[in-house]
Amino acid sequence: MSATGLDLPITGARKRRRPLRRRVAALPGSTLAGGTIVGVIVLGAVLAPVLSPDDPIVGSISQRLFDVGSAGHVLGTDGQGRDILSRLMWGARPTLIAGVLPVLIATLIGTTLGLVAALSGGWPRTAIMRTLDVLYAFPAILLAIAIGAALGPGVLNAIVSLAIVLIAPIARVAEGEVLRVRSADFIESARVSGARWSTISRRHVLPNIAPALTVYCTSLIGLSIVYAAGLSFLGLGVSPPTADWGSMLNDLRQSIYDRPVLSLIPAIAIFLASIGFNLLGDGLRRQLDVNEEVAS
Amino acid sequence: MPAFLARRILYALPILLGVSVVVFITIKLIPGDPVSTLLGPSATPAAKADLTARLGLNDPLPVQYLHWLWHALQGDLGTSLAMGQPALTLVTKAFGNTMVLLVTALVIATIGGVGFGLVLALRPKSLLARLVGGASLGAISIPQYTVAMLFLLLAVESKAFPVGGMHSTGATGVGDLASHLVLPAVAAALTPMGIVARMFSVAVGEVLAQDFVTNMRARGVRQPAIVRHAVHNALPALLTITGLQVGYLLGGVLFVETIFSWPGIGELVYQAISTRDMALIQAGVLLSAVLLVLVNVVVDTAHAAVDPRVRAA
Repeated sequence: MSATGLDLPITGARKRRRPLRRRVAALPGSTLAGGTIVGVIVLGAVLAPVLSPDDPIVGSISQRLFDVGSAGHVLGTDGQGRDILSRLMWGARPTLIAGVLPVLIATLIGTTLGLVAALSGGWPRTAIMRTLDVLYAFPAILLAIAIGAALGPGVLNAIVSLAIVLIAPIARVAEGEVLRVRSADFIESARVSGARWSTISRRHVLPNIAPALTVYCTSLIGLSIVYAAGLSFLGLGVSPPTADWGSMLNDLRQSIYDRPVLSLIPAIAIFLASIGFNLLGDGLRRQLDVNEEVAS
Repeated sequence: MPAFLARRILYALPILLGVSVVVFITIKLIPGDPVSTLLGPSATPAAKADLTARLGLNDPLPVQYLHWLWHALQGDLGTSLAMGQPALTLVTKAFGNTMVLLVTALVIATIGGVGFGLVLALRPKSLLARLVGGASLGAISIPQYTVAMLFLLLAVESKAFPVGGMHSTGATGVGDLASHLVLPAVAAALTPMGIVARMFSVAVGEVLAQDFVTNMRARGVRQPAIVRHAVHNALPALLTITGLQVGYLLGGVLFVETIFSWPGIGELVYQAISTRDMALIQAGVLLSAVLLVLVNVVVDTAHAAVDPRVRAA
């Protein structure tokens, strides 16, 4: 290369990135807290087969309703003598999946709908956005219940019904963002130079709406987990004896008079997951420097 | 004003139609053949064909929808299979109880939210504002069923409050109702209160940043008077913010009612889910959605009444 004489030092060359440890240490405390909470929950879920102290499904009748801190059962046992910590770890799996997957699916569909609506304008836009207005008219969780109850209980059906509920808000944000980008000069010049809309949306629009959309969709994960656990609480999630946090909450609240503290454990776990993802989303917003209006 | 209201209602009609289409679709989502479900496994093909024809299931979907809509408009939303009564009767009976809970929660959320929002907007750097800011973030993240469980625990442990239901056996007084109402209403109100506090503080902050406020400060107008102006100008925004909470509460009271055995729509829907009583679920969801659309019409109209800029738009 040096023979060509082209290896001049490039000014403003890429700065050496700071080591990961320093970059993590520079994050705000709230983001670190959120990351830690989510990290612990995900690790517990992934490593459940290795780490869980007991069988989550089969309990022992002689060990019913042990309180928190009992020997061998750190978080106690439920009404069927099953170790609550083990059920919490195994139950984190369907809870996380039913919380995160609907957001991913709805992001894919919602962004596409928002993109098509904003770029096409005219009657396709009216048709898409007015249809979404109808979905918006329902209280979110009630629409999920109506769809979930019709499809029948089950994790897959809960995911489908939550995804449908989340499409409308995501498509609205996507449409707004595309409209904002659409009027920019570089889109106009790309159009004048003869680029097709498909190329423009892929090369120019999507990269420009990606940060705001990522932040918005991340901020929905906490909410989605709360809804997913809520559906399961109402009996529209996993079927017994499989554990997930919503069904555990419904199980344990039956024994609130005998062992009041136990009934709080799944409720607090769901709250922690929700606030963990919210704090992470907030950190992401600061990192990507997205204005708060979009994310709320 | 009447013109605005008329336009707003005209805009709400297609939404209401759309809502009815969605609820009709959820009926069609139910897997399996309704005729076989109704007649059982030993039914003859002739009996099945007869019932299919009588239920209108041979008609094209749009015809089935219009048929369903015609009945729905006359108040016929099907019969609850588990309770053997018309679904609409059951739901409207529970509706009043839900409204008692929802309106109380809304009032608590608005009053608390305005108070905390003012702290956030007027003394953003103070220790109190930081505490309120943190608490409101927590309130927004906490699921309503977690709050409800905490409060239920409180009731069980302290024995100071009744642990569920709407009235003690035999009692009908207002005091009895109030003691049953406190915990579920505050539990339902917590998250909306956090949202109102944050949004209202933003609205007040926007007013405080305007030129006329700077002008007032330059003229030496005292803080209380400035605050009065700021709040006055932020009230239309508060109307919209509070209106938004109705939708949130309609969903949230479902869990609160279930946990506190409050005899409203939420508790009814919870029962209906366990017995797979679809007519009842759909009636509950349809009524809630229709209510939400109507509330939005009222909020928008009230907004236009107090803010001439909206009327012109």
